[in-house]
Amino acid sequence: MVGPKSAASSASSSSSANALQTLWKAYNDTTSPRLKFIDAFLVFLMLSGVVQFVYCSLVTNFPFNAFLAGFGSCVGQFVLTASLRSQVNPQNRSEFKDVSPERAFADFALGSIVLHFFVYNFLG
Amino acid sequence: MGVLRYCLLALLAIAGVHASALSVQSPRVTITGPDAAQLRTESLLADGPLPTLTLGADDALKLTFQVVESDGGKGVQPHQVFLRFYDELSGEEGIQPLRVTPGGKAKFELSMSKPPASLPPSSTAPLRVSLLLGSFSHAPASYSLFDLLVPPSAPAPTHPDEPSFHARPEIVHTFRPDPALPPRPVSALFSGLVLAPWVVLLGLWSHIRPRVPRLFSPQILPFVSSLAAFEGLLFWYWVDLRLGDVLLYGGVLGLITALTGNKALSATGEWRTGRK
Repeated sequence: MVGPKSAASSASSSSSANALQTLWKAYNDTTSPRLKFIDAFLVFLMLSGVVQFVYCSLVTNFPFNAFLAGFGSCVGQFVLTASLRSQVNPQNRSEFKDVSPERAFADFALGSIVLHFFVYNFLG
Repeated sequence: MGVLRYCLLALLAIAGVHASALSVQSPRVTITGPDAAQLRTESLLADGPLPTLTLGADDALKLTFQVVESDGGKGVQPHQVFLRFYDELSGEEGIQPLRVTPGGKAKFELSMSKPPASLPPSSTAPLRVSLLLGSFSHAPASYSLFDLLVPPSAPAPTHPDEPSFHARPEIVHTFRPDPALPPRPVSALFSGLVLAPWVVLLGLWSHIRPRVPRLFSPQILPFVSSLAAFEGLLFWYWVDLRLGDVLLYGGVLGLITALTGNKALSATGEWRTGRK
């Protein structure tokens, strides 16, 4: 029916907290556990990068190479994981016709290892 | 070789015995004033102390002698006849070659109004004047003649650029102070904050619990363990290893990872397409 649905939608759009709750519920219901796994990793990387950046700007950037290595690893890993997630997502199949999920994972693994090598080099 | 050396030494000894000695006959020095008045006359190489002669700024000195062989008294022209002026205080010395006639007679004139170049720079100490004789066929001889007091020489002229060669003042560098670590509580707090996301991650992962039904199957496990081995190798590189070693091990491990990964990912692809 149009009436209750429109009434419900107007009630949810009136408060932003309700909108967030709806978004969260939709995310929880529609995302597969594997994608949620990757998302958790992305959240972790974001938090880690933010904390390191806050420390560098607030307290000191004394071992600057260490800051660059840590922050760079967070950012680089985030980029790689985000690209893996978008390539692996079954709903994006039409966008990535010639990249199979296995190929995406192989790229992710190779890129991660190279990133880790450079980060360890710089960490000191 | 030893015999040859001994023969050479014997030959030299014999030559030394037969080399005649030189001696100086009737050495005489005269000092004349500016008006040609004779101020002092000395006969040298007599017994007693060496005479000390004083030369004023306008005086002149004349030295005459004859070089003869000590046995026989025949006049001889030695190959080298030098007059040596030596300042004991400063260590300066000057050598004046003298011209000697074939008969051995020599005459030397020194005028203080136009001093010779061989007169060394001197201050107030007396110049010790000696005669040096050198000859190929005679033994060398050296005679101390007299002490000479001359007016002190002017100080050496300084070059206008000379001060630029003196030592410059020491450069004192001021360096930026070494960077210091923040206080310990701050460091501890932020260490905790940085490790907190790991807690969040583990909490989320344990909550989500994705299914990995075939993780430990023989197709997948080698690939995952070689990836873990790569991470371990990189950590080892951070702690201990050198670049050449890590690249070598990494190359070998990369080959293994490529092979196992090929097998693993083709298996997962088949499962995915087979299931689908």
